Amino acid sequence: MTVNQNELLSALVDGELTGRELDDALHLLDTNEQARMQLQRYQRGSDVMHEHGLAHHQIDLTGRISAVIEDEETYSSITEANKNTAQIIAFPKQFWKQAASLAVAASIGALAVVGVMTQPQNQLVPTAQMASVEVETTPMVVAQTGKRWTVQEQEVEERLNNYLVDHNEYAGASGVFSYARVVSYDMGQ
Amino acid sequence: MRILLQTIVSCSVLLMSFSSHADAEAMQTFERMCTAAKQLNYDGVFSYQTGNKLQSIRIIHRADQQGEVEHLISLSGVAREVIRSNDKVINIYPEGETVQENHRPLGRGFPSDLIRRLKSASDYYQLSLGKQERVASHYTQELVATPIDNYRYGYRLWVEKDNDLLLQSDMVDDKNNVLETFYFSSVEVGGDISETSLKPQMQGNEMAWSRSGQGEVIKPAPKNNSIWRIVWLPEGFDLVTQQNRFKARNGAAIEQQVYSDGLSSFSIFIEKIRARHSHLHGGSKMGAVNAFGTIMNAHFITVVGNVPARTVEKVGKSIQYQGIE
Repeated sequence: MTVNQNELLSALVDGELTGRELDDALHLLDTNEQARMQLQRYQRGSDVMHEHGLAHHQIDLTGRISAVIEDEETYSSITEANKNTAQIIAFPKQFWKQAASLAVAASIGALAVVGVMTQPQNQLVPTAQMASVEVETTPMVVAQTGKRWTVQEQEVEERLNNYLVDHNEYAGASGVFSYARVVSYDMGQ
Repeated sequence: MRILLQTIVSCSVLLMSFSSHADAEAMQTFERMCTAAKQLNYDGVFSYQTGNKLQSIRIIHRADQQGEVEHLISLSGVAREVIRSNDKVINIYPEGETVQENHRPLGRGFPSDLIRRLKSASDYYQLSLGKQERVASHYTQELVATPIDNYRYGYRLWVEKDNDLLLQSDMVDDKNNVLETFYFSSVEVGGDISETSLKPQMQGNEMAWSRSGQGEVIKPAPKNNSIWRIVWLPEGFDLVTQQNRFKARNGAAIEQQVYSDGLSSFSIFIEKIRARHSHLHGGSKMGAVNAFGTIMNAHFITVVGNVPARTVEKVGKSIQYQGIE
């Protein structure tokens, strides 16, 4: 591994490469096992720096979740007076109304994606197109059944699901149930 | 004569204003529905149906002075769970033996924009009251939101008449076909929610615990600072928020731009490519959610939203890179 190659991989991890340099980096990874190992080291380093590491622990799940919840700051404007009643409130406070719906949508969405992201990937019916970064002009075939994201590569499906979770944070008032659509895949498959 | 003229003009303006916006009573119902979901305690089971697929989920929601806590449990298949406490969301994946802890990306910064969203929705949908029907043994008022064009879906919502909780939601296309429906099969509203019912059912074993960072929220309207230009948007869709954050697994930077007309919304995700990965090229869908993906200048570009395929595709194809080549 030359200094230039190391710099190239480091820049790749930092997302700084485009065009020819990106092609060179990808070619290097394709042809050089040492480069692939070096990339993993860089990525681990980057993850640690950004505190994105995934740790395995023997945990007391209930206790830890409770601790996390209790640690959460609160910001509700709800009072005892209006606790169990739904009322029309003045416009300046209306944001609380939709915030409720958004919050529900977010949670349902998270639940939904749990189901999709853990599905086996061997039941897919190809109907749509995919492309890799390297071979953008040679699309791969993926599925589109209308019940879920159906792609041949799990990483693509996971990316779409993550996007869907993030998006559903903002699905409007009628999106109270919007994320549950994803859960349906779990049935009858 | 002058006073009479002023009166006529004033009445005309009032009438035009009323007719160009939603039915007033329908709008009030819509507002109350939004409030109820946040302020009520409820414990129920709702179903989602599209085609011949059906999924049931139990939802337990408690609101008090500390805010909201919510527990969702999948009743079909694996008992997946979600616990949300205000803007913190914990996902429990029994099959994958993992727990994910996330912050809602925009946390408490986002709701301030909802006033504008709620107002703007009525410009692009005709809100009207429908029939009164029973859902989950409750009497409801149907609320119909009909879109002005085919770049967004329509909605039919059934709102409980006494407590205003949304009990059923149908999303319909431009031919009035129901694309998907969510409905409570049973729900109890207003009772006490015990602490126990909000705790996870699954006990901990060997679990992987991952945590994603909070996004760096960029306030709306920083478009001119972006290196990405969205050339085409459907009428009424505006940027409601934008954020940059790191992807949990590999730390890749992701920019998310959220556009909404008040009811429908889509997000544009722009993710730096950090290594060789595959990405969606073209359109895909899941239920009524459509996505369009492409790759541009070493970035994954993805448009995702509860809007028709033609919308995400047209938006996706209009995105232009304006940075340095």
